[in-house]
Parts: sequence; structure tokens; C-alpha cells
Amino acid sequence: MRRTREEVDATLQIAKLNAAELLPAVHCLGFGPGAGAAAGDFCLLELEPSLCQQLEAGHSLVIRGDKDEQAVLCSKDKTYDLKIADTSNMLLFIPGCKTPDQLKTEETHCNIIHTEYTTEDLLDQIQASEEEIMAQLQVLNACEIEGYWRILDFDYEMKLLNHITQLVDSESWSFGKVPLNTCLQELGPLEPEEMIEHCLKCYGKRYVEEGEVYFELSADKICRATAQMLLQNAVKFNLAEFEEVWQQSVPEGMITTLDQLKGLALVDRQSRPEIIFLLKVDDLPEDNQERFNSLFSLREKWTEEDIAPYIQDLCGEKQTIGTLLTKYSRSSIQNGVKVYNSRRPIS
Amino acid sequence: MVQIIISSAGAGGLAEWVLMELQGEIEARYSTGLAGNLLGDLHYTTEGIPVLIVGHHILYGKIIHLEKPFAVLVKHTSGEQDCDELGCKTGTQYLVTALIKNKILFKTRPKPIITNVPKKV
Repeated sequence: MRRTREEVDATLQIAKLNAAELLPAVHCLGFGPGAGAAAGDFCLLELEPSLCQQLEAGHSLVIRGDKDEQAVLCSKDKTYDLKIADTSNMLLFIPGCKTPDQLKTEETHCNIIHTEYTTEDLLDQIQASEEEIMAQLQVLNACEIEGYWRILDFDYEMKLLNHITQLVDSESWSFGKVPLNTCLQELGPLEPEEMIEHCLKCYGKRYVEEGEVYFELSADKICRATAQMLLQNAVKFNLAEFEEVWQQSVPEGMITTLDQLKGLALVDRQSRPEIIFLLKVDDLPEDNQERFNSLFSLREKWTEEDIAPYIQDLCGEKQTIGTLLTKYSRSSIQNGVKVYNSRRPIS
Repeated sequence: MVQIIISSAGAGGLAEWVLMELQGEIEARYSTGLAGNLLGDLHYTTEGIPVLIVGHHILYGKIIHLEKPFAVLVKHTSGEQDCDELGCKTGTQYLVTALIKNKILFKTRPKPIITNVPKKV
């Protein structure tokens, strides 16, 4: 079952990748019929460049050694020590795979390459793949690319943040000491430098140590932004499921807590199952009365703890949370807890 | 003295492969195993950064040109022993099938693609 160009493009769209930022050719990777079972029959031999040249010239090499001895590798005129190396990483062979440089220099209209790793007659397999490439000639429709240009600000910010957190992870930096220059160097090819620095400033605190600029990233801000990204895709979320996905989605080492979501999301502990949904204080009316009206139409009774983040911004010099609640709501005791509801019926 | 021959067909018969290195493991979704299944889509950005979409994950990686290339050896055993003055050749031989001069390394943690967030409760 071969993947089609349409399926590849659909996946790009779901992954929120901009096709205009990618080279037109895609490699659809698949496992060959012998995958896994025959893996033990393959060996990788790391070569000095001169040994590689010998093999390319068609010369053979020989491994020699007595049973009790260290084995050596012999070429026509040199002997090399042979050592075995291991890696815990997964290594995959991709026959027929092109590097970006090769793709750029090739005058090919091909934009879908199917590669399969197989133990069977490999050379023939590669030739067969090339025939299939010719049969799959398609030209990207320019209009389709236009369709991918809609990137929302928040989505873009999350994309930047993801690049940064992935870099922190791969470099094994501490989140408290993220070097600006290395970020710009490593991520510069992916995104504009001003944007990378802007993202670091939004999610961290800048400081200078021994003449170098670093950022201390805020776990709270990152966890909060991740939650927003998750919640904005759904009307409401099962709370237990959300908490699990959320913790898995934040960078390793960061701990998510619901406290980080004040003013962003609301938890309903009365519903079965318990749910959480996005409620951003920025989206609510600015006028005091209207603010309370909208909050009370969302939920009839509120505890002070729940409502406080959603009226905090209304507080001024003369008004505290307490005075606002007194003025715009009526309180009662429910199950031993003080709750607030509207002064008049909300239609 | 044991001798194992590594023979090469020469540049004309040698393919060039790319090595892809991933942290962790790839598991098949169903118990039928990996053989014959799709792994994912490999894209390159216009800057040459490899991007791999595997299932519900995206990984960003790096193309590394190998200073020391790899030869891919396939084992052939014939079970016969062949002895001469240099020693005994075992029935085992390796054939160089391909050379690997570039590798794609993915060492960051995959990012989940959140698509189908359950709307039901």
C-alpha cells in the first residue's frame, strides 16, 4: 500500500508543518519484508577514508586472527586493529535515500520517494524503486502551498518554544541556564533570530554571567502555554486524561500543577467525570457587571478560590477581591463551603 | 589462524545508503511485526534540516557527513572450510553491499502531534 502525495500533504497539515518551508521531495519510509528477523545478518564496518577507497576500487579486505587473539583487519598493505562497538540507539538503513544536497542538485520533478529496506537482492530493489519514482511524477500545485500559510500567532510561539525546549533537551542544558548564542546558532537555520530571542524573553528571565547572555526558563510559563495549546483544541477535556497528556507534553523535568492554570482554565469538580476547559480571563468582558454576568452564566455558584483569578484584574486601589464580591454577588454556604452567586437571575 | 574475507564489488556495484539513527525504539502497533509496514515520512526543510513524522510524533534532526564512512556487510555462510598455507578460511564471508557516507541523527525527544483531542467527556 503505497502512500500517495495527498496522504503525505494531509499529514503535513495535521502536523502543522508549512510545506513552503520544506523541499518538495518526501521519502516515505517503510520496513522491508525481512525487517527485524534478518537484522543480525548485517554488520556495519567503520572505515578510515583510505580503506573506503580500497573497497570502492573493488579490493577485498580480510579479517584474521587466532581464536585466542585479538582480530585484525588487513588490506593489501596495512593492518588495522578491529574493535566491536555498540550503541543503544536504533540504526536504520535507508537504501535510495537522498540527502538535501543531492535533492537540490538533482533536476528532478519527483516529490515522493518510496524507500524500503530489504534483505533480498538489494541492488535490484534499488533499481526497482527508481522505476516507481518515475511512475509517480507529480508536480506540487502552487495554490496548495498557499493554503498552509495560515499560522496563528500562538501556534507560531509554541513552535518556537518547542524548538528551544528540544534544543535544551538534546544539549542537556539546565532550564535555568540556556545560552542565547548557542540557541541562535543552532536554531537560526530554522527561524529568524529575533523571533528566537523574543521567545526566550517571553518564557524566561535574561541574565549575564561571565560576559555571556543566558535565560532562566520559567517552568510555570512553559507548562501553562503547553496547557493552552492542548485545551484550545477541544471544548472540554476529561480532567484525568488532560493531566496525563499535559505532563507528557511538557519538557522532561518540569512538573505540571493545576495552580499554573489560574485565569486560563477552569476545572469542574461537580461533573462526572471531572472536566477541565479553557477559560481565558482575557476573553471575558472588561466591564465589572458584565464580567460577573458572564462568569455566573458559565457557572451558577463559585468558590472564592475559583473566581479570584477571573476578577483579579478588575481590582484597583479601592477595590479588592472581597469588595468586588460583596458588590456584585451574593454569598451562601454550600456543603460547608462559602460560595458566591449572582445577585439577580441571569437570563 | 582464522580468515574471513570481506569482498567488494567495487564502486560500480556499491550502492550508497543513508543511515538513520534514532534514540529509543520503534515498536510495531500490531503483533504482526515491523516487516512490510510504513515507518513515516522524511522531509527536509529548505535549510536541509531533516524532519521525520512517525505516527503521532515529529522529530527534528541533523544530517551528518561521516568522516569515517561505514561499509554495510552482509554475511554469507557456506559451512565449508578451505585451508591453504595462509590458514583456514571459514565458510563465512562478508559481502560489502553498500557504503554509508551520511547519517541522519535524531536525538531530541519526539514532540507529540495533538490532533484528535477527545471532545467527548
